[in-house]
Amino acid sequence: MLDLSVNLLGKKLQNPLILASGIMGVSVSSLKYVIQNGAGAVIFKSIGPDERTGHKNPTVFSFEGGIQNAVGLSNPGIDNSTEKLKEAVSTLSVPVIGSMFAENVNNFKIVAEKMAKTGVAAIEVNLSCPNTEDDFGRMFALEPKVTGEVIRAVKSVVGKTPIIAKLSAESPDIVEVAKSAEEAGADAITAINTISGMFIDIKHKRPILTNKYGGISGPVIKPMGVKAVYNIYKAVKIPIIGTGGVNTGEDALEYIMAGAAAIGVGSGVYFRGIDVFKKISDEIIVFMENEGYKSLNEIRGVVHKN
Amino acid sequence: MKKIDKPLALPIKKIVRESERVKTFIFDYDFPGKPGQFVMCWVPGFDEKPFGIIKKEGEGFSISVAAVGNTTKALHMMDVGDLLGFRGPYGSHFKLPEKGSIALIAGGYGMAPLSYLAQEARKINLEVYLFVGANKKEELLYMDWMKEIGVKVHTATDDGSYGYSGFNTELFKIYVEKMIFGKVFIVGPEIMEFNATQICYEKNIPFEVSLERYMKCGFGLCGQCCVDSTGWRMCVEGPVLNQDELKKVTEFGKYHITSSGKIKKL
Repeated sequence: MLDLSVNLLGKKLQNPLILASGIMGVSVSSLKYVIQNGAGAVIFKSIGPDERTGHKNPTVFSFEGGIQNAVGLSNPGIDNSTEKLKEAVSTLSVPVIGSMFAENVNNFKIVAEKMAKTGVAAIEVNLSCPNTEDDFGRMFALEPKVTGEVIRAVKSVVGKTPIIAKLSAESPDIVEVAKSAEEAGADAITAINTISGMFIDIKHKRPILTNKYGGISGPVIKPMGVKAVYNIYKAVKIPIIGTGGVNTGEDALEYIMAGAAAIGVGSGVYFRGIDVFKKISDEIIVFMENEGYKSLNEIRGVVHKN
Repeated sequence: MKKIDKPLALPIKKIVRESERVKTFIFDYDFPGKPGQFVMCWVPGFDEKPFGIIKKEGEGFSISVAAVGNTTKALHMMDVGDLLGFRGPYGSHFKLPEKGSIALIAGGYGMAPLSYLAQEARKINLEVYLFVGANKKEELLYMDWMKEIGVKVHTATDDGSYGYSGFNTELFKIYVEKMIFGKVFIVGPEIMEFNATQICYEKNIPFEVSLERYMKCGFGLCGQCCVDSTGWRMCVEGPVLNQDELKKVTEFGKYHITSSGKIKKL
């Protein structure tokens, strides 16, 4: 049997497919359901300093080729979440990664410190939510310097918990941002977050989302994600979780060949169902068997040699 | 017909006042949808909310809306010709037995999906017994329609203004002692649903219940409507669950999660 396992941040994942943040990750039960369907690791929905109900609906819809969302970082707040995170860490059978956001450096530290104490396998720092500009201002991940400041601050309070910087292809130079995150002590990079856009309903003559604009995910952003991973891989030594539009084994293989150590899967849950993780794993295996590969290490970053 | 995942703008064709608080909005569009499934209805400028789809014979489809919050009150102010946005249909649906008699236990606005189910059941000549509860007589919905299609209607009102004085579940309990129902369908406030399911478990009658949870995406992505302990999404694996599935939903009758993800007790 072909082995799809990968080592990421000191943990062994049975397969490289990680549930991306913001999808399904509201409760321990919902994550358990995702794991039963083949995820190699899971990332909780982003948690911030305070409880937020998020934007009013419509917050999510789909179009041909993708999903648009502006949920607005709804979450119960870190203090209402630590027990749930501990329960997830102690009861779920795969590594549980926490995700966090905040509006300023000080609050990033407060949330990160509390989250690290829950025992999560890693903390993904969401520096790139495109849907809360009215409350939080522009995303941190646009600027290398600001990204470095946040990562450094988070690293100073989390002890040995690994930190993942979640970056955006909306940055004028995502490679510089990734380098800055690495210098500041980030242990991994997630690339990319959703890309902000707008849809207008021409009958209603108004944007569909209550937030007017919102993050685009799904197949339409995959080429941007693959390009980002390809370029970041050349510039940093830390592992990259390639995320954005992965629906199939072929999609995942593109990211791995560009250099991704693991793969985030989000919108794929919509496009192919909750068992998208099993389907992608099976499709990767078929490809590797046909091509005579034994391990993902043989093809990771292979395009850089060609 | 394919489901619609990007809001489709449809003009209101007709508005029927059902009661003091409830209006039915009818659309001239053959929207797909089986009894128990729901649509996400976007009231521009306010919110987007789930409503059980009703497809009355000879009409496209309709939703019945009680004016209880800002969004539903805004909807009640709308006129024929005004536009609403629809996505769906979403979720699991009721499954009727092939023959025999069924009981419907409807509390308040639970009548909406069950009225559509009653129509489909009568089409295949099932005996349909309806146990419907409301605060008062004026809030009982679709009584003429139900009688017209041959549903045996049993009413219960909290104030005793019409039919049995008390809860519809108490009324159902009286009938269940002397009658045999092949299957029971339950929609209403969660406490009513809980009480009704307890009777069915006790009497070993198969049932289906529709479990309402806060919805965002409606199509299985956001996790907002996942229930403990299975993690099932009430917009995909639910909202209609049968007696065996419901046993695994440990939060039923106890708590749910709010829009922020916090737990709220019933």
